[in-house]
Amino acid sequence: MKLQHYLGGLEGLGRINFEKRVFVQPWEKRIFGIHVAMMALSQHLETAKVTPTKFKSVWTWANLRKLAEGMNPFDYFKYCYYEKWLSGISSFFVESGYVSTTEFDIKTEIFLEKSDTSLPHSGKPEIDNQVIEYLRVGDSPKCKADIKPKFSVGDILTIKNPLPTEHCKLPGYLRNKKGVVDVVYEGVYNYPLQTGDGVGDPMPIYSIKFDSHEIWGNLTEPKTWIYADIYEAYIENPI
Amino acid sequence: MNESSREAYNAARIKALESLLIEKGIITSETVDQVIDFFEKDMGPFNGAKIVAKAWVDPEFKQRLLEDTPSAIAQMNLPRGMAGAEGEHMKAIENTPDVHNLIVCTLCSCYPWPVLGLPPYWFKDPTFRARAIREPRKVLKEFGLDIPETTEVRVWDTSAQIRWFVIPERPASTEGWTEEQLAAVVTPEAMQGAAKVQVSTSI
Repeated sequence: MKLQHYLGGLEGLGRINFEKRVFVQPWEKRIFGIHVAMMALSQHLETAKVTPTKFKSVWTWANLRKLAEGMNPFDYFKYCYYEKWLSGISSFFVESGYVSTTEFDIKTEIFLEKSDTSLPHSGKPEIDNQVIEYLRVGDSPKCKADIKPKFSVGDILTIKNPLPTEHCKLPGYLRNKKGVVDVVYEGVYNYPLQTGDGVGDPMPIYSIKFDSHEIWGNLTEPKTWIYADIYEAYIENPI
Repeated sequence: MNESSREAYNAARIKALESLLIEKGIITSETVDQVIDFFEKDMGPFNGAKIVAKAWVDPEFKQRLLEDTPSAIAQMNLPRGMAGAEGEHMKAIENTPDVHNLIVCTLCSCYPWPVLGLPPYWFKDPTFRARAIREPRKVLKEFGLDIPETTEVRVWDTSAQIRWFVIPERPASTEGWTEEQLAAVVTPEAMQGAAKVQVSTSI
């Protein structure tokens, strides 16, 4: 298990950072833009396959999440949000052979010494067209598969407690808890990565309603309900 | 490493990465700027504010928005892409005097990009994510929001495919306002349930 899967309900963290900005440091915008480009150029997209980019990998949210959730939990909380992106995406490019550690370090030194050194000018416009088109079209996880949902609205269900692997779609605080099906979402949803605990094949998803007291006992607040979207693989058969 | 050298290192590291990706033909020298530009002009909380304002003045539209969010949004004259990245499966929910909704993503930072843009820092803050799911009233109080004991609180954990956004309550002193005036007072915080829409009495 990883602490980052059990963040919901963790105590003793103090006050919230109320910062309303999206980016605080200018560099944060750059790593965000690179991540979006990677998603848009991911080779599982038909439109990306014919785009003249040298990026030949699959890159989805799941890949980024796997890297963040796979981190040492103490590092996870030490680094800020976009630092995790920067370190995960950098190691992806190095480990996949796109960039060597040496050239990366040399370039970093150059920009550390002279931060106003300009970026190279290069690239084909088709690459940027694909990136913007991806933002407009998206990449829906809904898929065509003849799978009927096992459960119906009103069913009282128990959430399973599978061993969480490095990437997990089940919040820790819901494990072994009872909830009631509020919505059976229409259709079947794919997840781009096998998480090792059941998610990865196409399956139905449910909105499950939990009484906050069922989860936290008296340590929660009156008249509070939690709704979570749960993959069918995480649900026990009702008795 | 102190804070400023840590940020200087991050800035150099990202510049080195972007530079190498351009040289190697993965992205272009314009890619990152174009992405940022897109979020400044096409996808952002200004879209959500227009949707909320329309829902406030048009009850039929609001009903449709609650029942079938994508088709209601498609009716509006918004930029193409409202069903695009992170907006493929969006759903609007409504705050009323009886029910207050708060959105959180305890596993990460899922957020409806087309209508709200990119998530602000507070939404990504591990402390917010940890606490909002167990003690939402206390958290909302720290945001300056008092939820009466008679009001039900619903916390939505974005753990799969739906990206939620909240139609906040319309402030009482806005009768006769145009949609444009109304949209101007709707904040991203209000559309995530972390704030009420405030109207300055001087307007």
